[in-house]
Amino acid sequence: MNDAAAPAGNGQGRLVQLLFYVAVLAGWYAVTRAGLVNPIVLPPLDKVLAAIPGVVASAQFGADLATTLFEVFCAFVLAAVAGLLVGYVVGRSPRRIAEYEPLLSAVYAVPLVLFFPLFVLFFGLGIASKVAIGAAIAFFPIVLNTIAGFANVNPVHLAAARLMGASPGQIMRHVMVPSALPVVTTGLRMGLIVALLGCLGTETIAATGGLGYRMVALAELMDTVEEYAYIVLIIVIAALLNALAGWAEARAHRLMGAR
Amino acid sequence: MPEIAMSARGVSHAYGVPGSASHVATLDDVSLDVRRGELLALIGPSGCGKTTLLNMFASLVRPLRGTIEVDGQPVTGPMPRKVAFVFQEHALFPWNTIRDNIGLALKFQGVAKPEAAERAAHALEAVGLADFADHFPGQLSGGMKQRASLARALSLDTEFILMDEPFAALDEQTRIVLGEDLSALLSRTRKTIVFVTHSLGEAVLLADRVAIFSARPGRITGIIDIDEPHPRRSQFATSEKFNRLRGDIFGLLHDEIRKSIDDSVHRRSGAAA
Amino acid sequence: MAAAATSALPVREGPARPVRLLRGRVVVILVLLAVWEIGARFFVSPHFASPPSEMLLALPSMLATKGVPAALALSFGELVAAFAVSVAIGLPLGLLIGLSGASRRTLLPIVFLLYAIPQITVLPLIIMLSGIGPAAKIVFGVTHAVFPIIFTLAASVGEVDRTLVKFARITGASSWQVFRYVTFPYAVPSFFNGMRLAMVGAILGVLLAELYVSSAGIGFYTRLFADSFQTPKLFALVFVLAAMAVVLNEIMRRAEIRFSRWRNG
Repeated sequence: MNDAAAPAGNGQGRLVQLLFYVAVLAGWYAVTRAGLVNPIVLPPLDKVLAAIPGVVASAQFGADLATTLFEVFCAFVLAAVAGLLVGYVVGRSPRRIAEYEPLLSAVYAVPLVLFFPLFVLFFGLGIASKVAIGAAIAFFPIVLNTIAGFANVNPVHLAAARLMGASPGQIMRHVMVPSALPVVTTGLRMGLIVALLGCLGTETIAATGGLGYRMVALAELMDTVEEYAYIVLIIVIAALLNALAGWAEARAHRLMGAR
Repeated sequence: MPEIAMSARGVSHAYGVPGSASHVATLDDVSLDVRRGELLALIGPSGCGKTTLLNMFASLVRPLRGTIEVDGQPVTGPMPRKVAFVFQEHALFPWNTIRDNIGLALKFQGVAKPEAAERAAHALEAVGLADFADHFPGQLSGGMKQRASLARALSLDTEFILMDEPFAALDEQTRIVLGEDLSALLSRTRKTIVFVTHSLGEAVLLADRVAIFSARPGRITGIIDIDEPHPRRSQFATSEKFNRLRGDIFGLLHDEIRKSIDDSVHRRSGAAA
Repeated sequence: MAAAATSALPVREGPARPVRLLRGRVVVILVLLAVWEIGARFFVSPHFASPPSEMLLALPSMLATKGVPAALALSFGELVAAFAVSVAIGLPLGLLIGLSGASRRTLLPIVFLLYAIPQITVLPLIIMLSGIGPAAKIVFGVTHAVFPIIFTLAASVGEVDRTLVKFARITGASSWQVFRYVTFPYAVPSFFNGMRLAMVGAILGVLLAELYVSSAGIGFYTRLFADSFQTPKLFALVFVLAAMAVVLNEIMRRAEIRFSRWRNG
């Protein structure tokens, strides 16, 4: 579960990460060049890099990418709608928080992936089972963060708005939503990431398509060059999605004052 | 006979279940008149209920016993057109610029956009923040935030302004300067202002009358008249009269402060037992 | 600034009594169980879902199935091993990285980078290197669990209240004493927090690896029960795994609370 996906944060950290990437790639190249590793386990870097354009252009990759992204999108939307609604309703009532938040936290701690076989039984091997498990997994960081966001609206702000004559709708729009937004967007970012990881992970276990499925299929076929091309592409796509989500989150945080 | 604008009669208040360890009586049979057009300071040791009384005038808290009236009517809920409240922690929305903060307050009050924009600009001008209108609260110093908070209250153009330790979070020098500004501002309007403070100097410098509270449960032990016209100058702060009045208040307060400290020590050790 | 009662009656305040809190949760759980029971019994083919009653009835026979108890025990063992190895690796690494500002700035970003890589991409490689036995599962569990320990520990060791450290030094404490009496106690709650997250990670990693390998262990039996439509047994197996996860989690959560008392009041 990757909810620490907040990265280095500052310039120096990013530089270190970049250097690390370079070092790993250089190491990979050197080790395979020197023949230290069985090419079945780790193919040469240059071969993998050369194969990437071909993979990206292929119809199969396009289909796999579309499948995975579609699963993630559906899972995320379902989880977000449910999580935001439930999170708001629970978060505005201290009593409900005390009653239900521990329950939600407890379920969050259980790797829901272990219910995946049940989902496959019910939904089949296709996209639906991944969407279902992805949504189930992504629901929890979203709902828990939304609860926190709406629970922690500064009561002084609420009192001030009421005294100034704000209607309930105005209070919601001008006080509660802006106040909760930073935490809620963090939850949404976490939800998107775990939805992606959940879909990819379960694709490797039981699926008929998608990036995770393809990676494993290629491994089984011993087509290691293509397999590693897919691995590199998966890492890149995950990093892009992570960066996108992180950017959206940072934007929402900046809107809330400390510009 | 000065006109009574706000009043509290026989007000009592408490928290917790009576008889239990958590029961705290905050106010005990407090009666107080606020005269129209005056600046009234409420001062007293921590926990004496002065902020609770202020909150009652604002409708944030209901008394257990007794009545609270504003303009002859009992207080039942927010009165955005009559009463403006300045919080200790300024309560500016960090996600809006200070111009928008003021604009929003006016919107809540029901003022139309063009007039609201004009009043906001005017209020910012009056407190000297016109150049910072499009800054966010997070970009401003403590003193500026409080001035913005004040500007917001002034822009609402209410007859009454209630302030809860408005300068508490500021350093002494800023307090003195803001106090002078406030005094100058208010001498131009005929607002009725009640403010809570811990600072003796501030009370004497700004107020027309100072109501002194006892330690918990709060009662009013005395009201001191400060007979000095507005706007108050900093020369007043170093005058003989100022020191005498300050000494009078301190005399009434000192024992109460002692009592409230001893009381809180007792509570701590009692609760731990 | 709560509104007190307007009547002459005294205000009744205080926390909601624990019994009342439980009621809401119990109601939700009972409602969900009822929906599950009724839904699975009347609305879905028994091939695709089992109601809780059937699941519980199948529990004994599922456990009696040849090889299942061994597979469960093995998974549990892998879990514990993954967790232990993660602590053994993560604890010293976290401390070392955290103690110096320089290492925090250079090494922590790398830790985060590794943690951000979708772990699933490493699984085929691990299996290729370690085979489909327990070793691969433990390794995969460690890759999920070791990171939370490292960065929670490194972060908390790095953020020890500077004032406390200054005070200790001024009164003559040696570097070791500062660590033993200031830094270490300060880091304990974060360490237990990291351990709880590590347990969650270890469970995730081990179970994911188990399900991936469908030729032995838990993965084999989930596939077996699913393919032969012994649905109540499949549900029962998953239920046992979930119960195991919940119990382990609860243990870690309580440990975390117990050791964080000074921080949470």
